[in-house]
Amino acid sequence: MTQALPSTMLAAVSMGEKFVAMWPEAFLFITTCVVMVLGLSKSLPVRRMCAPLAGVGLIGAGLIAAAMTPDTLCPLPSMAMYGKVLAAGIGLVLVCLLAGTVDRDFESDVERTGWFDVIRSKRAEFWAFFLFSLTGLMLTAGADDLILLFLALELTSLPTYVMVAISTRRDRSMEAGVKYFFLGALGAAMFLYGFAFIYGGTGHTGLQDIQREVRAQVDAGGINELTMLGLVLAVVGICFKIAAVPMHFYTPDVYQGSSASMAGYLAFVPKAAGFFAIMLVVSCAGWGFGESRAELPGMLRDVLWIIAVLTMTVGNVLALLQSSVKRILAYSSIAHSGYMLVGVIAGPGLDGRGGEFTRNGLAAVLFYLLSYGVMTVGAFAVLACLERRSRDGEIEEADHVADIRGLCKTHPVLGWIMVVSVVGLLGLPPLLGFFGKLPLFTSAISAGEIPLVVILAINSAIAAYYYLRLAYLCYIDPPETSPNLAPLRATPFGSRRVAGMLSAIGVVVLAVVGGKLADATVTAGRYIPPAGQTQQPERAADDDAPTPEHVVAPH
Amino acid sequence: MIEVVLADGAVSSYIPVMLLLTMAVTFGAFNVIASRLIGPRRDGGTKGQTYESGMAPIGTARKRFNVRFYLIAMVFLVFDIEIIFLYPWATTFPNLDPGSTNAQVWLFRILFFMATTVVAYIYGLRKGVFRFD
Repeated sequence: MTQALPSTMLAAVSMGEKFVAMWPEAFLFITTCVVMVLGLSKSLPVRRMCAPLAGVGLIGAGLIAAAMTPDTLCPLPSMAMYGKVLAAGIGLVLVCLLAGTVDRDFESDVERTGWFDVIRSKRAEFWAFFLFSLTGLMLTAGADDLILLFLALELTSLPTYVMVAISTRRDRSMEAGVKYFFLGALGAAMFLYGFAFIYGGTGHTGLQDIQREVRAQVDAGGINELTMLGLVLAVVGICFKIAAVPMHFYTPDVYQGSSASMAGYLAFVPKAAGFFAIMLVVSCAGWGFGESRAELPGMLRDVLWIIAVLTMTVGNVLALLQSSVKRILAYSSIAHSGYMLVGVIAGPGLDGRGGEFTRNGLAAVLFYLLSYGVMTVGAFAVLACLERRSRDGEIEEADHVADIRGLCKTHPVLGWIMVVSVVGLLGLPPLLGFFGKLPLFTSAISAGEIPLVVILAINSAIAAYYYLRLAYLCYIDPPETSPNLAPLRATPFGSRRVAGMLSAIGVVVLAVVGGKLADATVTAGRYIPPAGQTQQPERAADDDAPTPEHVVAPH
Repeated sequence: MIEVVLADGAVSSYIPVMLLLTMAVTFGAFNVIASRLIGPRRDGGTKGQTYESGMAPIGTARKRFNVRFYLIAMVFLVFDIEIIFLYPWATTFPNLDPGSTNAQVWLFRILFFMATTVVAYIYGLRKGVFRFD
């Protein structure tokens, strides 16, 4: 008993410090508990508090995260703060977007009969799961240990399976939820298996310890094959979260099966969690290999390279063939994952720490996550704002490309949100998407990945076809009135329109203040090479032992 | 793969795993083969029947169950997990210096954790999990 005391005390101290880093999550978690209980109330005004309270929780968590997020003990120490604030910010837009997704017909039944059947109500679960999932996203950004990383990733995904299944009252949603769940379980099993191999190969679960051990293995002649296998398995497993190619099959079906608002949610939250996780896992091996001493270790780089190329190409080519806007956006989200993987491959650049925005691939990924999130949420918000009653009396959202024909004339605000969002996703210069894509190109060029840059450029050109087609349909095509279908109306949920307008404004305004954001992402994308590693042979003398204290955050 | 592990000299830590693997495979194979060799083979209507706790089975097996069974199972899990986490906490807590900040943090942490279980309980109560009618 007495022998165990010192190590216990040590654990207590480090756990205490770790808990300080989790105040935003703790705050969000408490809000979640309150939301869950309020959503079960008999009184409608109390039930209606759920969404605003979720917003308040996110604002609070975001402010706490911005004020007091310490650096984490991992090769990417400053990513935690950026990730948490990003989660809170986009989360707020998503609160507006997801309003009214569940319980709509149920509430009108309650109004008619005056009887509240608590079993049939889904509001409490939906909003609690929404917040749980965002808590998981924040935890993922701040993870410094494989176990925490796994739990955080699962906390992000598990609620989304249920949210997809209950997002509409159609069977298709249930089917989407089940598909998503089984493939998600497969992905989780794969990356957990990878984590087990990483632990087997290095003997640690802490990311910093793993980085140190990998460095020791490199000095001793090369990365242990168990470690390498673990890293590759983990990356491929996490590809499910980001919808990258070998694990992308669920994406279009799940997006189409869930409501448009939920699809907007899926396009951002699991993807952001996946990219935080992929960067954390990959950074344990680090970008200190290859001839330039700024590449990922051989096999890992090759695997990521192939995944990135396939993801971009498959996503873009299949998007050309779709006639459903949700499916187009789903394939476009696959393609965007491929673009972002280019940044992961490029790494923090030749100085090894990521001091320059145009050369730091990690900063580029973090910037792109923000811009992609804003733009894709805007596009899905437009779909979520339009609806019709179908013949069976159920509410049907706009989905077919014919539904958005002439939208700029019939619903000018929605039409313009759509145009701005898709042109942003395409990456045309004055808008946010361009400033997101540019550093991906420049960082990949400076990392010497010329073939990858060429493929990225070709893919951007392919993508132009279907993005411009969507913009053309909205702006130039005349409105189409089909005799078989009821005309589309705007939803009664004004906040969805607000979510769309916020996104569209973000696409324009964030591009203007992009410089400040770029600084933030450079700070967030700071990479700490393992102690003793020389990034460039000729500079070996002056930076032989970079430790966290000596690395100044670049501005 | 095995050779790499050998070169690192870490193979000894994998011996228990290998042993367990061998035992598991042997046990499974032994049972299948032994029952094939020495087990009696008498098939009949009674043997093929659905097992229903020794009673004569009634109705079809493809029946919908009340969702409440799952709810009760989940509520059970919540409290089960709570107990599992309380044990290690209870064995470690007396080692801490009474009145120190650490002890307070530890106490607060477990209280917070138990409060979350209370939330789960309230949720179950409101959803009618404990109403057996």
